[in-house]
Amino acid sequence: MTTNHLDASQFTHNRQFEADIVIIGSGAGGGIAAEQLAQAGFKVLLLEEGAYYTRDDFVMQERWAYPNLYQEGAARKTRDQAIGILQGRTVGGSTTVNWTTSIRTPKATLSYWNSEFGINFSGDNDLAAYFAMAELRLNIQQWQVAPNANNAKLQQGCEALGWQHTVISRNVNGCANLGYCGMGCPINAKQSMLVSTIPSAMALGATLISRISVRQLHWQGDSITGLEAVPVDQHFQPRTDLRIRIKAKHYIVAAGAIGSPALLLRSGVPNPSGRLGKHTYLHPSVISGALFDTPINGHSGAPQSIYSDQFVWPADNSKPGYKLEVPPLHPVLMATKLIGSGGQHAALMQQFNHLQATIALLRDGFHPHSQGGTVLLDSAQQPLLDYPISDYLWQGMRSALLSMAELQFAAGAKQVLPIHHDAKLYSSWPEAKAAILQLSMEKLRQTVVSAHVMGGCNMSTSPTKGVVNQNGRHHQLQNLSVFDGSILPTSLGANPQLTIYALVWRNCRLLIDELKAG
Amino acid sequence: MDRRQFILSGIALGAASSLGLGVLSWQQSRQPHNDNLDLVLSALLPALLYGALPQDATLAAAEISRTKTAVFDFMPFLPQRQQQELHQLFNLLAGRVTQLALTGHITALAQLSISQRLQLLNQWRDSYLGLLQQAYHGLRELLYGAYYGQSEHWQALAYTAPRFR
Repeated sequence: MTTNHLDASQFTHNRQFEADIVIIGSGAGGGIAAEQLAQAGFKVLLLEEGAYYTRDDFVMQERWAYPNLYQEGAARKTRDQAIGILQGRTVGGSTTVNWTTSIRTPKATLSYWNSEFGINFSGDNDLAAYFAMAELRLNIQQWQVAPNANNAKLQQGCEALGWQHTVISRNVNGCANLGYCGMGCPINAKQSMLVSTIPSAMALGATLISRISVRQLHWQGDSITGLEAVPVDQHFQPRTDLRIRIKAKHYIVAAGAIGSPALLLRSGVPNPSGRLGKHTYLHPSVISGALFDTPINGHSGAPQSIYSDQFVWPADNSKPGYKLEVPPLHPVLMATKLIGSGGQHAALMQQFNHLQATIALLRDGFHPHSQGGTVLLDSAQQPLLDYPISDYLWQGMRSALLSMAELQFAAGAKQVLPIHHDAKLYSSWPEAKAAILQLSMEKLRQTVVSAHVMGGCNMSTSPTKGVVNQNGRHHQLQNLSVFDGSILPTSLGANPQLTIYALVWRNCRLLIDELKAG
Repeated sequence: MDRRQFILSGIALGAASSLGLGVLSWQQSRQPHNDNLDLVLSALLPALLYGALPQDATLAAAEISRTKTAVFDFMPFLPQRQQQELHQLFNLLAGRVTQLALTGHITALAQLSISQRLQLLNQWRDSYLGLLQQAYHGLRELLYGAYYGQSEHWQALAYTAPRFR
């Protein structure tokens, strides 16, 4: 590790730091901001609750990766336990463990933001230049290698049914097609923040402090005056024996769409819109398994290389749209999501290499009956997301299960298994269709997962309708910015990393101009 | 005490008072007792992993023991509130009084047959009580994750993790 890195868990006494800019969180938002601000000559302090693990630590084993690289050991759940959330917690944040899918913000999403929140990303505010810069910086290019069998089945199903599909662009350089992106890239091929902007910022003089949990921002009038943090222990639980105090001219909160609202709630910052920690979106996702005669080996090869937008923007706006993708299949991920117990579960696990899985990610936040979740604080002041699933979303999930089963049979599946606790293996599309129409869509019977957390500090031109303005600046506190996925006013209908890179890049440019002028 | 703790405590207290055994302290029952954890895992793992564990009793015992260690190692990474809920569940299941309320059996968990234990888990899954449904899913995910996280248990999957270095 370089001398620009401090591990707060090694501190033996209370510490104080000062910087021009302190960035809380080192994921897609914090990582881009660290490089931009360090390049502009500011003294940057980058704080991360997770550890500074690098490629030599990435042993391609779930049992190491989940507790060490993910929030709550990859077992994070919504309040009623109905939705499992995969979210990174390590230097580089979720970019260190994501599946590399890089998609520009859909135009329909941007136009919805314009009509509902006054946010305008056209003309002078066009994001195209920032998408292009992020794509160049992170080597985002369409994947040229043939999809693995798991993705190929999605492609073949779409071809057979005449459904839209696209080859995915990925942020990789020298990718060996291993398939273990979710456990940290062991060869530094994935151009996560961990291997790109963060080392670059550190080379320019930025200091990274890992294993530090920011507990509170102190504020007075219209300004943040300092922050208070603690080290975390070996299990990433906040400690109480030491205090770390940090002062800066400007504060950038980039702790993710659950962490950022939680920090601002703990700090009791002004919240006249009442939207802080509200309208949190998840792309709630449902899964469909399918057994094929030929091996699928979903653990091997680029985890995501094909998606289908056939259903993401339905003509009938009263129905939720959903995007079709596939997840990588590894033993723990598969064992915990498969249904049943005892012999039934064991028999399914024995089909490990023949199982294909498709996921449908629902585009939440675009309808009065899809207003997302609320970040709460538990008795230990740790975040907990309450996300009730409306009937509108349940019906969208049923449609998604139908689409996926139809697709999998069209791709040649012998049997299809919707991941619902009342479902079983179905041997034909008519049989699956009849059964899915009868499934009771309710929590803890229908398995729901999420890998994308968005919103909670939404941007809006009007302070009455959002927490930050279009540039990520807090509406009430002048030296506070929120630079991460929490500023999104809805979900995206696309995987979020590239949207966050571009928005934060743009917002950094504006912030730098202002700080230099001031 | 939130609603969930309240219900779980309610079940415990109800069971205790109906048997005339006085009041159990719910506070105490949220503390970790590794003996209880061990006892409950010893009873539930052979059921949940029925069909996955090897036939050979010695090999099966080694796999169960490895899985228990993995559960012990993993739990501290969960939020405190979730750890407390799990410990409370383990303590209640291990307690001779309260397990009646949770299992419907007066016999200790370990004395039930494998199929009775599986039936019990399925009853939780299908219970009208959200709390028991959550217990089913929470335990299931914790235990399957712990078992299938171990490379020694992948033979039946015909999967080997790549050795890159």
